[in-house]
This record gives sequence, C-alpha cells and structure tokens, in this order.
Amino acid sequence: MSVGFLLIHAKPHRTSAMLLSWALFVSGIAMYLYVAQQRHRDNPEERVTPTIAQMARGMYDAALKPAEDDEQAAEGGTMLQRFWNSMLWKDTKATARRFIYSMLLLIPAVLLGLHMGLFPYIGAFFLRFVLFFDKIIALSLLPILFIAFGIDELAKIMLIVIGVTPTIILDTFNLTRGVPNEQLVKAFTLGAGDFDAAYRVVLKQIMPRVLNSIRLNLKSVMLFLFAGEMIASTDGLAFRIALLRRHMGMDVIIPYVLWVALLLFLVDFGMRVLNRKLHPWFQES
Amino acid sequence: MALIEIDDISVAYGTPPKTVLDGVSLRIEEGEFVCVLGQTGCGKSTLLRLVLGSEKPLTGRILIDGVEHHQPDRTRGYVPQKYSLFPDKTVLDNITFGPEVSEFSFLGHFTPRFFRRRRELRGAAFDYLRRIGLRESDSRKYPDQLSGGMQQRVAIAQALMTKPRILLMDEAFSALDPGTRRGMQELIRELWKATGTTILFVTHNTQEALRLGTRVIVLAKESPERGSGVKLDLPVPDPCFEEEIPHLVQRLESGAGWQASISLHS
Repeated sequence: MSVGFLLIHAKPHRTSAMLLSWALFVSGIAMYLYVAQQRHRDNPEERVTPTIAQMARGMYDAALKPAEDDEQAAEGGTMLQRFWNSMLWKDTKATARRFIYSMLLLIPAVLLGLHMGLFPYIGAFFLRFVLFFDKIIALSLLPILFIAFGIDELAKIMLIVIGVTPTIILDTFNLTRGVPNEQLVKAFTLGAGDFDAAYRVVLKQIMPRVLNSIRLNLKSVMLFLFAGEMIASTDGLAFRIALLRRHMGMDVIIPYVLWVALLLFLVDFGMRVLNRKLHPWFQES
Repeated sequence: MALIEIDDISVAYGTPPKTVLDGVSLRIEEGEFVCVLGQTGCGKSTLLRLVLGSEKPLTGRILIDGVEHHQPDRTRGYVPQKYSLFPDKTVLDNITFGPEVSEFSFLGHFTPRFFRRRRELRGAAFDYLRRIGLRESDSRKYPDQLSGGMQQRVAIAQALMTKPRILLMDEAFSALDPGTRRGMQELIRELWKATGTTILFVTHNTQEALRLGTRVIVLAKESPERGSGVKLDLPVPDPCFEEEIPHLVQRLESGAGWQASISLHS
C-alpha cells in the first residue's frame, strides 16, 4: 500500500502537482465568472463585477487609446505607438520611475548594513537608532512627510525609504554578522586590508542573500509606493486605481491590479534569474 | 632569536573570568613543525589564535620575529578546520586571491599590469594544484563542489601561495576520514620540507601529532581553577618511523597524564 495522499511522506506525481497548483486559480476564475453572470442577469447595468468582455474593452482603452490629458497623441499609428501613448503606459512609467529611485536608495542601505556588521564603532553608532526606526509604522508618518516634504515625489520616495530601508539595513547587518570569523581572519592572513575584506570577501558572500531579502521586500516597496500615489499624485498605477474607484470603474481596476501583479512577478523573476547568473555558487537552502 | 616567542601568556574568558591558559611560555624556531596536542577545551585553538593575532592575551606577549602583531597579517598563513575557502570564488580564484589582493588595489584590477600578473599567478596556482593532487579541471569548481579533503588541500595551497613564514593549522584534518587524513598528512609533510615554512599544527590526535611534528607540545589543565599550561615538550626524531610511534605515544601519554585510550585512533 502506498503512502496516503495527505501524509508527510506523500510524493505527488508531477502532473498531479501541476494540476493542484492551478486548481485555486481555475476555481477562483470560475467562481468570479459565475457571480458576474448572475449579477448581470439581475441587473444589466451592474458595475461591481464586470464581465470578461467589459474588462477586455476597459483594458483595450487603457492600453491602446491615448491618455486623457495627452491631447497631442493621435489615435492612429501602429499598435506599439498607440501603447506608448496610452494611459496604462504613462501610469506604468510614472510608477516605475518612483520604484527605480526607491531601489537605488536601497544601495546605501545595504552598504550601511555591511559597515555596521563589520566595523564595531559604526555598528555601535547606528544600530540602536536603526532598530528604533524599524519599529516606526511608516504609513503613520505619511501626514508628517507630506507636511515636511510637500506632496511631490520626495515625500513618496521618503515614505518608501522610511518603510523599507531599516529592514534592509538590519537584514544586511545580520547577514554580515553571519559570515564566519574564519573567513575574515583568512582574508587578513592572505594580505587583505579592511576595504578588501569588506568588499571582496564579505559583500560578495552576502550579496545573493541581500538580493533575496530585497526581492522579499518588493511587495513592501510597492505597498508604500501605492499608498503615496493614492494619496498625493497626478499619475501612476495606484493614482489611476484610486481615481477609477470614484467612478466605480471596476472594468479597468481589475485589469490594472492584475497588470501590477504581473509586473511585480516579472521583477521578482528577473531578480531571481539575475541572482542565479551573478552568483552561480550560491545554493539556496 | 626564535621566530615565535610566547612569553608567559594567560587568557581568561567569561564572567566571572575562567582561566583557559595560564603562564604559557614557548619558543619556536624557524623551520620547525610544532604540533600542539591536548584534550578538548585545553586552549590549543586559543593558543593558535593568539599567535595569529586574532585574540589578545590577558597578560604576557607574543613576538613574531621580535615584533608584537596585534592583528592577523600575511606573515602567518591560516588553515582552519571549517570555512577555509571563500565559497563565492572558484578553486583557482581562491588560490590566487592572496597575491592579487595584496599586490593590487581595487582600481588596480583594471590595469594591464594586473592581467599580466594574473597570468603568472594562475601558472603558479596550476603548479600548486598539481602538487596537491588536483586536476586542472578542478580549478573551475566552487568549494562546495569539492570533497572535504580536496577543500583542505586547496586551503593549504591558498595559504602557501602568499609564502607566509608561519603556517597555522587549527584541527585542519579533523573532519576528514582516516584515509584522506593520512594522504593530507603526507602532503603537508612534503610541502613543509619543500618550502621550509614554520608550521604550528593544532590537533587532538596523538598519532597525527607524532607523524607530523618535529616537536610535540602537550597542553594540559593544571587544576579546575588554573588554566592549561605546557605539560610536555617532546622532540620527535625526524624521520619518525611508524614502528617508533606506539612507543612515542606511550611516552607522550604517560608524560601528559592521559589515559592511552583517548587518542589512539588515527
């Protein structure tokens, strides 16, 4: 008798595992379609659960029609040209710009964590403050940020910095402290100085784990970015979602949410591939 | 003047302080192969870390060629039991890391001189690879693709590549199976004879100490209150023939006050 399918030692067949992994998606979509159909049968003007056709039309308009405020953009042109002039692309570009700035600001955070972990005086100077800062709920600072930095880009970027950098600093700090002391001693006996030990030995060893940590924090970055955009912005994916909410534009909101999820999935996938290519020696346990 | 002078050192850890080493003095001449032997917790590795400069004694001092060193540097090579190689570097890059890092700054890595020197270093690294019994194809592997014995061979080559005057080995072969361990013992003896490097080798294995060393130092605890001191300083004939080993083991263990059974595994 083989092991039961609900037991720890169960070994699902490849096909069963694949089917199981898609089951919730399929049932979720099926359930949505059923509910949407029922509600549309009761009320043809129903807007809360748009049908697939309505969402496709909404997404078509968002992705292939010129943005409302872009008067110069012509309706015609190739599909690609129409996409470049569209509301979806304009919003994606605005959000991506802020996202890239935020990611760039994580580089100093990683370097600070590295130095805190390696140099005791730097660690003593920053650690308590970063630990305290880490406990502050970034969203609670939002009004202060808008008062202090205005409602421009800076406030949104600062929100992400306050929300995510302490976590990355502390993660990098802990990863640095986790490098065996033997490795540092070894580096010094081979002629390395402090700079070499920090950047050629420790940073290179912790880099794949730091990238993983950033990857796991992508959702937090997006959360703070969306909060900032929803409250004070004139463009961006979250701004559009907030704007469409006022008009009950679920036919565009749902595709937008899926588009954001797809983008985040692609960034995550890209970072994983990059990590594997850059660090072939790293075996994730 | 001795190459390594350990002068009345004491070390204590913890609160309240627990003495680990108490009044240890030693002189090690250039070219010696000294094995430090003792039971677990007697302070062998502490003694090695003091010579390495990664720890400071509570009292006393350690002179290397007449000078006190307060942190590890390239005068003393180091082969620990674990984490001896950089996991992010291939075998070849691990071996050439020392000369590269000590001869070139970060920006120096982008100069034509670096690439010329790198070719020379790689040639030397391949020589070492052959001497330690690894194939050229192993040079592209990462440490976790090698067996424990191969990793320690590479670690020895890595340490010797910078031509240190002293090589410090901390239970370097303890994690290896008996067959591999025997091969490593022969290798390190050969390399010691070829390079003339002074070796301080910490082990808890009596037979290994006698097979390798020209001198065996035994550390033993004086009492529960006092830390370890040098219990026995036994010169070993060079060459030391296998048939002499049981007799030496007996002498050593009776001198150190051990029960023979604790260290008769090879």
